[in-house]
Amino acid sequence: MSIFRKLKEHITDVLYVWRQEMKQVIRDEGVLMFLVIVPLGYPLLYSWIYNNETLHETPVVVVDQSHSALSRQFINDCDATPDVDVKYYAANLDEARALVSRQLAKGIYLIPSDFATCINRGEQATVSVYCDMSLMLAYKAVYQTAMVEAGRLSAGLKIKKAGNYTDHENSITAQPLIAHDVAMFNPSGGYGSCVLPAVLMLLLQQALALGIGMSAGTARERNRNGQLIPDDDPHYRGAYRVVWGKALCYGMIGAVAAAYLSMAVPRMFSFPQLADGKTLLAMLLPYTMACIFFGMTVSCLVRYRENVMLLMVFVSIPLLFLTGVSWPQSSIPGAWQGVSWLFPSTFGVRAFIRVNSMGASVSQILPEIRILWIQAAAYLGMACIVYAYQKRLARKHVKTVTNSTDLIEPDNQ
Amino acid sequence: MKYISQFFDIVLRELNIIVRKNRIYGFCMVVFPVLLVVFFTTMLDDGLPQDLPIGVVDHDNSATSRSLIRNLDAMQNSRVVYRFASVTEARNAMQEGKVFAYLYIPEGTAAKLMAGRQPDISYYYTMTCMTAGSMASKDLKTISMLGSAAVGQATLSAKGATKEQIRTALQAVTIDAHMIANPQGSYNYSLTTVFVPGILMLFMALLSAYALGMEMKFDSGKEWLARAGNNILVAILGKYIVHALVFLLVIFSYQYYIFNVLHFPHLGGVWSIVRLTLLQVAASIGFGIFAFGLMPSLRMSMSISSLWMVLGISMCGSAFPVAGMDPPLQAMSWLFPLRHYWMLYQATVLNGFPVIDVWFHLVALVAFTLLPWFVLRKVKIAMLNYVYIP
Repeated sequence: MSIFRKLKEHITDVLYVWRQEMKQVIRDEGVLMFLVIVPLGYPLLYSWIYNNETLHETPVVVVDQSHSALSRQFINDCDATPDVDVKYYAANLDEARALVSRQLAKGIYLIPSDFATCINRGEQATVSVYCDMSLMLAYKAVYQTAMVEAGRLSAGLKIKKAGNYTDHENSITAQPLIAHDVAMFNPSGGYGSCVLPAVLMLLLQQALALGIGMSAGTARERNRNGQLIPDDDPHYRGAYRVVWGKALCYGMIGAVAAAYLSMAVPRMFSFPQLADGKTLLAMLLPYTMACIFFGMTVSCLVRYRENVMLLMVFVSIPLLFLTGVSWPQSSIPGAWQGVSWLFPSTFGVRAFIRVNSMGASVSQILPEIRILWIQAAAYLGMACIVYAYQKRLARKHVKTVTNSTDLIEPDNQ
Repeated sequence: MKYISQFFDIVLRELNIIVRKNRIYGFCMVVFPVLLVVFFTTMLDDGLPQDLPIGVVDHDNSATSRSLIRNLDAMQNSRVVYRFASVTEARNAMQEGKVFAYLYIPEGTAAKLMAGRQPDISYYYTMTCMTAGSMASKDLKTISMLGSAAVGQATLSAKGATKEQIRTALQAVTIDAHMIANPQGSYNYSLTTVFVPGILMLFMALLSAYALGMEMKFDSGKEWLARAGNNILVAILGKYIVHALVFLLVIFSYQYYIFNVLHFPHLGGVWSIVRLTLLQVAASIGFGIFAFGLMPSLRMSMSISSLWMVLGISMCGSAFPVAGMDPPLQAMSWLFPLRHYWMLYQATVLNGFPVIDVWFHLVALVAFTLLPWFVLRKVKIAMLNYVYIP
């Protein structure tokens, strides 16, 4: 056989597998759900959940035992901030606590009876802040507002006492050193803008892995011998052709999903989007490939397709943590950092956040891109190995079946 | 009497499936939960992120600027790891993910400070990781305030003011913060206690749907019902009492570990924890059976349960509060068992508030437990008549 004929045959086989796989994907509603509906619908739902980005007007109850002009000024100042809403006044701490217990307020400001007296005497006055710690965002709003307003009140008192002549002098008295607070890449500190890019990329991996796994499970169940690779079809001769054929099918779906997730969704909900096309391509190409081969490797490890769902759903939240989006990468224990290297999502998410939210260039995410290519190659190799193994199993199975000529039942449950 | 013997027959049958026949139960009921608890408790062991990498751009190179940087480095949450020559270099490092924040001190800061000419310093932090960004910004804010205060302090002590007077002059009103039930502000206390139960609830619902689906897939449903004397209620109760007991055991061990070994705060006491756990297990299993009853197919019911429960982790409002979501979503949050679990958890277990203040959530969990009532007939029909199609 000439080399060209061999090549032609090889390509024909790959294309055949591609077509068969595509047919199967479209026919199986379970697979379709994870490959089409989940990547299309889920990000929209998540974006909607986080669309409001920040928490405003956290309800707070005030216990004002001082009843002075100064205490009222403090309360008014707090109420005027966007973060806190002074919604209730209570006569004492117990009454205030009852309001928090009924989930009506998230914090208590207690202004003691000697508040104004202390200030007028030239002593330090104290405002007690009691925070409900169940919601970190609410706690931050309640506590930081009190801090900032206490600082402003103090600065005002300092200016009054200083006896300056000009506004400029007042400003220097209040703040001898000006500090500019600049939040970058997500200036409003929005929760959605922070978490969503990570969720989008993780979703790509999970959807592909679930879809590929489910489809492999279906193939196994449809096959009369319970094998992943049909043993009677000459087009499925080599593991390499099967892997590439399937990869082309999922690559097609993955490419559309990746483009949609990385470009359309952030635009629809106006999340930060600083990425330029070429950089995005440089990072999404290896990422999608790594995800596909990762999915193919995983799909061989499980016997029933339901199990792939149990497995992928189980790892999804831990994987989000391992990317370093909700818990900083520098604080992830070394052992878990090691585990995180096994999953494409770790580097895919990191690279995407830097490209999409921080406008990084290719050279700035080079380490991640390199690891993604290594992962893609390694999982390709693994996929070929496990498929070759499956192939051998199938062949062995045919032999035993023809020898003993009895049907082998799939083991129950 | 007949019912009781049938019930125990089903219990033994289910035990046999879980222990002997299908290893996936063992994995999902014991191995995965243990891994999960280990993962979250070791991952968040610090409570707060410590020693976040921070860079500085010091163009002043004065004693004052160096002391600011030293103070920053000494802060618990921050560590100065890079000294950059320019702001561009610092921003590049941020984009490469090397630092979470940087402090820029321009030339002449110390001189201007001494002369009372109000110098500017700036700090930049990235909010693409909110935990790191807000921690770093807190430390940087403190440092810049210290820088301001140092000047005032020096002037006042030169004028002969006492320590007391200096303190009052610099900060007339102070805040005395009481972080109820979580005085360190530990993320371990607030994240582990929602993610672990959330994923466990997901598993309970998934496995409940899975158990019914597998009966159908391997066509053992008829035998199962026959053993229960064709009484679907006995069949369901016998089957799921085993699941419930195993999960209760697992969850109680998890709670023993976090509350007694790791000393997670629980002002509510033991009874509130037990009550919540019973409701949690019952509601999740109820949801799983209901999902199967709605769509009696293994794959659809599992997909629905998993998609719904995963969504619940966001919709429970422990990270981004429900009050901040759009009104339709606020209404929808009632449809997620985890939302009610979390509301009950934070009110009765974490804060120790009376359960009557959150009674509606308790009723909601009971309602989830009773949901299968509506689909019992359909499950029976499915078991007797439906054929599994791969």
